[in-house]
This record gives sequence, structure tokens and C-alpha cells, in this order.
Amino acid sequence: MTTPKSATEDTACADRVLAGDTQAFAEIVARWQGPLVNMAWRYCRDRSRAEEMAQEAFLRAWRNLAQWRRESSFSTWLFALAANVYRNELKRFPTVNVPLEEAAEPSAPASQLDGLREQGRNDEVRRAVLALPQRYREAVVLFYFHEMDVAATARTMHLPEGTVKARLARARALLKSRFPHLNQQDASRTLAKLNQREEA
Amino acid sequence: MNHPIENAKKNGMSTLDRILSTEEDLIPSSGFLASVMERVEDEARAPAPIRFPWKRAIPGFVLAAGVFGWGGVELVREAVSAYHAAAAAPVHLPVGLEQTLAPLGWVGLALAISLASWVLSRRIAGESGLL
Repeated sequence: MTTPKSATEDTACADRVLAGDTQAFAEIVARWQGPLVNMAWRYCRDRSRAEEMAQEAFLRAWRNLAQWRRESSFSTWLFALAANVYRNELKRFPTVNVPLEEAAEPSAPASQLDGLREQGRNDEVRRAVLALPQRYREAVVLFYFHEMDVAATARTMHLPEGTVKARLARARALLKSRFPHLNQQDASRTLAKLNQREEA
Repeated sequence: MNHPIENAKKNGMSTLDRILSTEEDLIPSSGFLASVMERVEDEARAPAPIRFPWKRAIPGFVLAAGVFGWGGVELVREAVSAYHAAAAAPVHLPVGLEQTLAPLGWVGLALAISLASWVLSRRIAGESGLL
């Protein structure tokens, strides 16, 4: 998510901000607004609230920029700080979710669903993530936000990679128990692959 | 460098992975940057917060600590002398009252254990996100 060029630019901007140039922070916001708003969206699935939370995260970053130790990249520090802000924000004002047990499970098999219905079903799975217990929910949110990178997820959560993997496994098990069609689809895909290999 | 998501695709993503990793990106609203910078500039313009006057407060803290410390010592001294006085002249309770008071210790112990288990269960439930 961070290129060497943007890392250098972040460091330069941070130095300018710390030297008193407030406008340099605008460059940081411009560069990171997309990722931070998207990360917040995955925590709450509410657009306006996501922007409020991201704004709060940027403000916190501005206040605490001097605490960024250059041993970790700016993005690692920023994501960890944002995760902390979002976590606390959602503790204070939790999102309204249906319990995992009440999350809708579509009855029709996948082959009978058109594109729109499949999209709706996928949205239900995504929303069900928010109904997971907090420790599993955050691991899932950050894992997919970091494009399935366990190491980056662990750095953002300040946890060992093993703990993150364990939480992900538990979260997946909970989601698959709630949405059995996910297992069925995986099984049929595996079967199809095996058939293809045999035919080849 | 191999992208993790590309690797996962090569290895065969599960349906769950596919659903959760293919979310459309949200584009921040056009005024987002401006509103963040407005708040940042407001904070930058605001005068520095007034520091707590530690130098002036320290004598007060020392005085308060002295008073409370002295009060504590006096309280302990009173309690010890009262205990010695009670030990020197043991009180003989009527037999009926003594029989009534005997299980009170057990009742107290049971209440303490109940309280501890309630606190523990709340803490466990809180950590698991149930509360």
C-alpha cells in the first residue's frame, strides 16, 4: 500500500508539519484520505460516519505526529492510530447490527440467483462481519482492508501474527456456520476443478 | 513483488475471501480534505492550553496528604486500642444469639464468592464482546 516514493514524501511532509507548516498536512490528508475513509467504512458501513471517523483520525494524527517513531513506516503508524480511533468511536456509539444468528440466509441456490440477488447476498455476508464479536470483527475488517496481508493486519492491531490468524480462523468458522452456502460453493468449485483435471 | 491478493487468487480463494476482498472503493466526498484542514487550522490557531499550575498546587497536595495520613494513623491507632480493650474483656453473648451469629461468617463468605464470580463473568463476557 506504500510505495518508496510516497514513504519519502510522507516523511518530508511530516518534517514540514513538525516545523510549523500546517499546509503540509494537506498533502498527507490528500494522499491518505481514500484508505482511511475506506477503512472506516469497513468498520461501520455508514458513509457519513466513516468520513467523520476518518476526520477524527486525521486530527489525532496531526496532534500526535511528533510521536511517530520513524522505525515503522508512516502508513503503519497511521493505520494503527486510525484503527484505535475507530475502535474507540464504535465502543462509544456502536453501530446498529442484527445479531449473527439473525443475519438473513438466502434459501435459493447460487445457480438460481441473478447478478443483483448475488450482490445482495454478498452484502449480507459483509454486513454479518459487523455482527461478529469485536475481536474477530476487527481482525476480519483489517485483514481484507490490507488485501489479505496477515503481517500488515498484525502490525495495525499491535498483535502477533499467530493471534491474528487464530482470530481470522474463528471468524471464518462463525461466518461459515451462519452462511452454509459458502461451504457448499467452495465444495462444488473444488469438485469442478478436480473434474477438469481428470478430463485434462 | 507478489501481491498478497494475487497470491490468494492463484491459490484459490474461498467464496468468503472472494466476497470480502471484492468491495468497491469508497471515494471521499469532495469537501472532505477541506473540512479536515479547517479543523486542523482551527486547532493550530487555538492558544496553547493552560498548563496545570503544579508549583502552586504542590503545597496543597502535601498538606492534604499529611492530613489524610495523620487521619489514617489515628484511625488505625483507635482501632487497635479498641481491639485490645475488647480482647481484655471478652463479651459473652447469649447462647441463642451466638447460634444465630455462627453461620453469618459462612453467609459472608458465600456472598463474597458470588460477587467475585459475578465480576469475573462480566469481565469474560466483556472481553468476548458479548456486553
